Amino acid sequence: MSTSLPNLAELISHITLYNSEKAYRQLFKLLYPSLYRFCHCLLKSRELAEETANDVMITLWRNRQHLSEIQNVRVYSFVIARNLSLNVLNRGRKRDMVALEDIMIEIELDTPNPEQLLINGELKKKLENATSALPARSKLVFKLIREDGLSYKETAEILNISVKTVDAHLVTAVKKLTAILKAEFKLM
Amino acid sequence: MDTNKIIELLARKMAGEATAEELKQLDELILRYPDAVYYEEILKEIWEASAGNAEDVPDPGQAYLLHQLKYHQDFPVQADHATKSAEPSENMFSLAVGMLIVLLVCFTYWNVRDKGGPEIRISVAKGMRRNFVLPDGTLVWLNSGSKLSYAADFNQKDARKVHLEGEAFFDVKHLAGRPFIVHTEKISVKVLGTAFNIQAYPEDRTSEATLLRGSIELYVNGSAKQKVILSPSEKFAFREERSRQKSNIRTKGTRNLILIDHVKPLKIGSSEYIEETSWKDNRLVFKNESLAELKPKFERWFNVKISMESPLTGTYRFTGVFTKESITEALTAMQLIKPFTFKLSAHDVIIH
Repeated sequence: MSTSLPNLAELISHITLYNSEKAYRQLFKLLYPSLYRFCHCLLKSRELAEETANDVMITLWRNRQHLSEIQNVRVYSFVIARNLSLNVLNRGRKRDMVALEDIMIEIELDTPNPEQLLINGELKKKLENATSALPARSKLVFKLIREDGLSYKETAEILNISVKTVDAHLVTAVKKLTAILKAEFKLM
Repeated sequence: MDTNKIIELLARKMAGEATAEELKQLDELILRYPDAVYYEEILKEIWEASAGNAEDVPDPGQAYLLHQLKYHQDFPVQADHATKSAEPSENMFSLAVGMLIVLLVCFTYWNVRDKGGPEIRISVAKGMRRNFVLPDGTLVWLNSGSKLSYAADFNQKDARKVHLEGEAFFDVKHLAGRPFIVHTEKISVKVLGTAFNIQAYPEDRTSEATLLRGSIELYVNGSAKQKVILSPSEKFAFREERSRQKSNIRTKGTRNLILIDHVKPLKIGSSEYIEETSWKDNRLVFKNESLAELKPKFERWFNVKISMESPLTGTYRFTGVFTKESITEALTAMQLIKPFTFKLSAHDVIIH
């Protein structure tokens, strides 16, 4: 994962300037996993998420002449992903539109290495249960910041809310988690 | 309640959004409530767990192959071939960030002003800063709202001449016998191989040149014989009108002032900054400057238009460093120091 990927700005300039497919491939590798994950948590389907993430990427490539005019391509791609995902969800529905709030989001707290002692199976369940009651936006905020390392400002742009609200959502999510810990470890 | 505050601060810390002040406050709170260490421990674990959580994400390498197949009509076979000659190597690549300038309009056109030869012009919009490499290998950082131009055959000539309007930092590639000359509206700088900053915004009264290493020779336009040689860490300022500040040298007969000063690193908090050049590392540094003096800097940095309603606020003095703060965050922080209110609408800021 940590192969030295050149930074986003360089890639974008190469794509715009030279139509460089090589740079586009690197951009794809840089953005695709996050986009896939984001779409997957909205669409709940591997196929749909793959398709949508692909559509986002090709949109970037087709717009490559104007890509360098965009301030933050990462955020831009997430916004496209959000819109395309909502389109997919609304496809076939005539009446009630699906909004971000209506989507069930799951926060997974998988620990990759088994030697982790603190979060065992039972505690993990409790934590996941505690967070499942959170509003969809809180969960999305938590996911974007935690999994994709996005900033408050970027998250705010993607979800179309204010930076203050992002902070409030994140704090709510973290409070839920710590409430469980508090009971579990009898902390203050 | 303190526990709530701890959680709030921990959340911001995890997100990388806590300010230095908040981190300090958090440390103090944790000292008082040692139990909070567990929260931090476990949150950290939850946080980091996601990094390796990539098992169910399709392999991007494979995904790309499928992607290319699916949209094959979008990828002309020739695309990479044709650009090979134009594309610099990976190594150059990292230097060539500046190619980004396309974004900021980079075009070649026939310019009548300078012997009629083709000229390259690079301009950076307000609120942005960019760096790039000139054909001779010189590195240039161009500050907000600045323009740099040079002849297209710049690298074939004996003297490497560029024109600057605004502020730039140059790390000039040493080439024996081929001086590098920067012309601005009021002053000109001639060098062989050095690193220096030059600030000459047409709207500012003062033009400045700051030398970091090597040596430069500069003169005020129109009096080319009166040369000033700068040594490292020296700063040259040229001011058009008469002012009350002390000067070491005064150009005879005119009302222009020339100041030569030492560049002292500025200590703010626990770090040291060189005020004149830190903009190129995306830091806006200022020391004991009045709001009136800061106004043009802020306008360029944040790409806003500031109007001050009372002259009193203009006299408030500030010292500080801004990195990625927005104009709102910056002014909010400054409100803590001096009482004023501001209103922000699109690109206009009104300070009361």
